[in-house]
Amino acid sequence: MNRKIYLSVFLVALVIGLMVALQFRTTNSIEQGVPLSRSQELSVELNQLITEKKQLESEIEDLIQKIQQTTKGQAEAKEVLTEELKKTRLGAGLTAVSGPGIEITLDNPSAGQNKGPGDTIFAIRDEDLLRLVNELNGAGVEAMSINGQRILATSEIRWAAPFINVNLTRIAPPYHILAIGAPKNLTSALEISGGLAEYLQSLGAQVRIQSYENLTVPGYTAPIEFRYAKPTKGD
Amino acid sequence: MGILAWVIILGGLAIGVLVGLNVPFLIPQLYAKYLSVAILAALDSVFGGVRAAMEDSYDNTIFLTGFFSNALLAAGLAFIGERLGMDLYLAAVVAFGVRLFQNLAIIRRHLLKK
Repeated sequence: MNRKIYLSVFLVALVIGLMVALQFRTTNSIEQGVPLSRSQELSVELNQLITEKKQLESEIEDLIQKIQQTTKGQAEAKEVLTEELKKTRLGAGLTAVSGPGIEITLDNPSAGQNKGPGDTIFAIRDEDLLRLVNELNGAGVEAMSINGQRILATSEIRWAAPFINVNLTRIAPPYHILAIGAPKNLTSALEISGGLAEYLQSLGAQVRIQSYENLTVPGYTAPIEFRYAKPTKGD
Repeated sequence: MGILAWVIILGGLAIGVLVGLNVPFLIPQLYAKYLSVAILAALDSVFGGVRAAMEDSYDNTIFLTGFFSNALLAAGLAFIGERLGMDLYLAAVVAFGVRLFQNLAIIRRHLLKK
């Protein structure tokens, strides 16, 4: 009986000593660190922040993807727009172009070449150039210039004695017309019997037509302004 | 209750403290609260046993079972209270604290009467 009591008392003393010592150490270590409630709060906060961080990270990925898509689209759109701009500038005649074509040189009759009494009065007029331009247009010319002046849709060829104005610039004989297109077609359109070349020659003008493998027609350099014309809404 | 009893008690305590101080692990902070309540309950049981011995009504089985069940119950209550969002360990602290002081008072009176 006594032994049992001793044993149980020993056991109880042992357990109490153990617990007290453990608790003592634990409490000591807690005091060195942060209080329990604070650490709990902080751990909860940490968990929240971790989940928040994950959400934000996924959001970042999403946004990066969107940006990439957008930039990709932007680059494509830019390419398309640049291409379109090039085409438009080409069509408008704002860029110098080169290709096969013909050069027509027109000059007034020289003094010694007089064939008849009326010939000396003759000089090449704006109408002659206009006819020439019209003829070339009809033959499928793609770009042309008169003495370096690119012929646009709005270009005027106008008699302003004693000169001819093209693109508000005075030009003087001899007139060099550069035309890019199929050289054969252009030449035949002018040299057809009863055609413009023959007509001008019959008036005494010097007409020379030459084919070239590669011609360069300059672009229109002055700014183009639209003060009255506005694009319609449909376009 | 001779020298042997004191040797046993102090020896047990010393061994327990030594082991507790040298155990390589610590109680996690979360569970330190439960252990403190368990210690309080255990101390209460010990003083209850001392008082019973002085009143000559000491029962070894009651003492042992009371010691362990009180400690475990106190810790368990504190744990459940924590899960329920209640500071139930406060109740254990108050209850065992009151009993502890009552036991101490009775022991003191017995000692004074001698």
